[in-house]
Amino acid sequence: MPGKRSPVRLIVALSVAAVLAVFLLYTSIAGGGTPVLRPSQLAGHHGRVSLMGQVVGTKSGDAHADGLRFQLRDVKGTTTVPVVYKGSVPDLFKTGRDVVVDGRLRNGVFVAVPNTLVTKCPSKYQPKR
Amino acid sequence: MADLGRAALVTSFLLLLYALVGGSLAAWKGRRRLAESAQNALLGSFAATVVATAVLVGALARHDFSFQYVADHTSRELPLGYTLTAFWGGQEGSLLLWLLVLSGYSVAAVLTARRVGREVLAWVVPTLGLVGTFFALLLVFVASPFATQAAVADGAGLNPSLQNPYMAIHPPMLYLGYVGLTVPFAFAMGALLARRTDERWIVATRRWTLAAWAFLGIGQLLGAHWAYVEIGWGGFYAWDPVENAALMPWLAATAFLHSVMIQEKRGMLKVWNVLLVVLAFGLSLFGTFLTRSGIIQSIHSFTQSSIGPWFLGFICLITAGSLTLVFARLPLLRAKTRLESLVSREATFLYNNLLLVALALTILWGVVYPILSEVVTGQTATVSKPYYNFFLHTFGLPLLLLMGIGPLVAWRRASLRALGRTFLWPLAAALIAGIALLAAGAGSSRIGVIAYTFSVFVLAAIALEFVRGTVARKALGGLGWAAAFSSLIARNRRRYGGYVVHASVVLLAIGVTGASAYETVRESRLKPGQSMTVAGDRLVFRGFRSRLESNHRAIRGLVDVYRGDKYLGRYTPGKNQYFAEDQVSNEVSIRHDWLTGGDLFLIADQVNSNGSIDLKALQKPLVNLLWLAGFVFVGGALIALWPDAREERRLAERYAGATVRV
Repeated sequence: MPGKRSPVRLIVALSVAAVLAVFLLYTSIAGGGTPVLRPSQLAGHHGRVSLMGQVVGTKSGDAHADGLRFQLRDVKGTTTVPVVYKGSVPDLFKTGRDVVVDGRLRNGVFVAVPNTLVTKCPSKYQPKR
Repeated sequence: MADLGRAALVTSFLLLLYALVGGSLAAWKGRRRLAESAQNALLGSFAATVVATAVLVGALARHDFSFQYVADHTSRELPLGYTLTAFWGGQEGSLLLWLLVLSGYSVAAVLTARRVGREVLAWVVPTLGLVGTFFALLLVFVASPFATQAAVADGAGLNPSLQNPYMAIHPPMLYLGYVGLTVPFAFAMGALLARRTDERWIVATRRWTLAAWAFLGIGQLLGAHWAYVEIGWGGFYAWDPVENAALMPWLAATAFLHSVMIQEKRGMLKVWNVLLVVLAFGLSLFGTFLTRSGIIQSIHSFTQSSIGPWFLGFICLITAGSLTLVFARLPLLRAKTRLESLVSREATFLYNNLLLVALALTILWGVVYPILSEVVTGQTATVSKPYYNFFLHTFGLPLLLLMGIGPLVAWRRASLRALGRTFLWPLAAALIAGIALLAAGAGSSRIGVIAYTFSVFVLAAIALEFVRGTVARKALGGLGWAAAFSSLIARNRRRYGGYVVHASVVLLAIGVTGASAYETVRESRLKPGQSMTVAGDRLVFRGFRSRLESNHRAIRGLVDVYRGDKYLGRYTPGKNQYFAEDQVSNEVSIRHDWLTGGDLFLIADQVNSNGSIDLKALQKPLVNLLWLAGFVFVGGALIALWPDAREERRLAERYAGATVRV
């Protein structure tokens, strides 16, 4: 078939173009990802972010009523921020654990989106050497 | 004993290194005896790895806490079963399992795949040796499972969420899958290195690829079921990086299994197939890297470990090396024929491949996004569920539809009139199903209606294929219906096994859609005697019960379930408090409705000191089809894998000339 290009190339080219178009459309509409911040980086951010830190001090309140209150500190640092959270609390949640929770900062308090609290697995099972 | 384990690993490492270096030299210079000794080294490394495995299993069984690994992952109270499964509960043991499975596969593949020809096999041995050397190197020098210490009185125990029967089967299945992808990779590289780029390497490894792919699929379903019954948040897949790590190579391998059929039948897509096998193997290494390095935050990452850079280096080496090789052999990879029509079996395979790869790559983008965004903007960011769901819908729904269309389209060039005839019944079935669904009020989820309509279309198309084939076979010669049906499958195992697998994917789609698009969730705080309602069922909380077990205290909420006036039984969601590990684990309670395939899923979200419970109840229609899909999947894979004397003879004739030549 002289002069006739293989339709394979056409399909591949069109499909790649279509995938890229869908992808760009999605990222432009939905925006990029959610930033992951440490407590010390929170200042100035008022949109929804993921906050990562270590649970310190005592926790109070009721996650299924007016909200569980606890403090998150930079995993390597001293800045802390108070958090109020409602919803399911993971089994591994307790003081000293590293957690990630979504939400936004309001008047100095990090108000969490319900049911977004995730604990990172404790390092106890793989001692650092 | 630890010394014996260490010595076995060093032996294995040296033998694999010999298989790599000696084997390369043999293949390059064409030395037959050296090639044989390299092959024997590969066999020997398997034996040595078995010894190392036995030493670690023995140490676990004896509670020998002078092994750091044993002390870190078990305790005296841990039941024997979980003590043994702790073999793959930690990093060093997991790596040892990798090496064991790899050397086992290597031996089996090298011994059974001789049809590929001696020149190719000579290069397959050093390729397998290279991958084995890497893992043995890690085990000997970086992460030894045989590190010793002064014996402690008791070990740290096993993570409670790993104390589950699934722990015995889910990780080994995944490893059989991940590692199994090494076999087609090694044979592809062997074929390229030996300049034998016909389809023999594909034929020789077909069953190995299929087996690895099936194991990977089963492993993921088992993981999903584990998450569902044990982890206790009510779902089975969370788009977690480590879950994605297993899904990506599975998608790439699925694409590969389809596209190799085009190369076998029509001699096309040779470059694409080699690239797919590199992609699948690269993603399986990347999956192991993700799981083990802790580079990306995941609920699964147990460690921030030292092996990350090693893995990254090895992945770069493999990718760069194999791409260079493919590039160097491009002239040998010319297609013999070209695509004749956009409406043909080949074309539908091509669309299916592009969609599968697009899905795998968008998932990969989501997984590495945190790293990329940190590199580019200096700020880590993550993508979440909506991102993945969007692309699952965009690429997954057309894939679902293609499963119905593909088998009905003829090879080379299909006429539209013939297409109209074959599509008539499936289209009619889909249309009726769509209308019925809307009438039944399923329109609450547009994606749900689309997915179900597509599912009916595919199931009807598959059923039609079976009916047509059986009718044709019956017409051939005086067989009864049952005999015609079984002879149809026996004569075309690959094709009809494939259809059964397609049916299982449809069941999976139906289950996933039911559990996500049509789920009902209710939460309530109940005192004893109080009740709540979810999707028509009334749940009455009766109080708590507490029991002391060997290594934990089990607290259970007692919940009586009623539908109307009918008592459906008592369900007991609760929590376990583990002493040695100082941890709590959620124990959910599930009521299966076998008639409708739905589940009532109960979670004791919070146990309050005043005797009340925060109860979360989820009604998940059709979710059990997801687990049924697992059994159908295994059945289909077995049909396709089953040895086929007729096919063997056909292949033997086809390559008879080639065998004489070598």
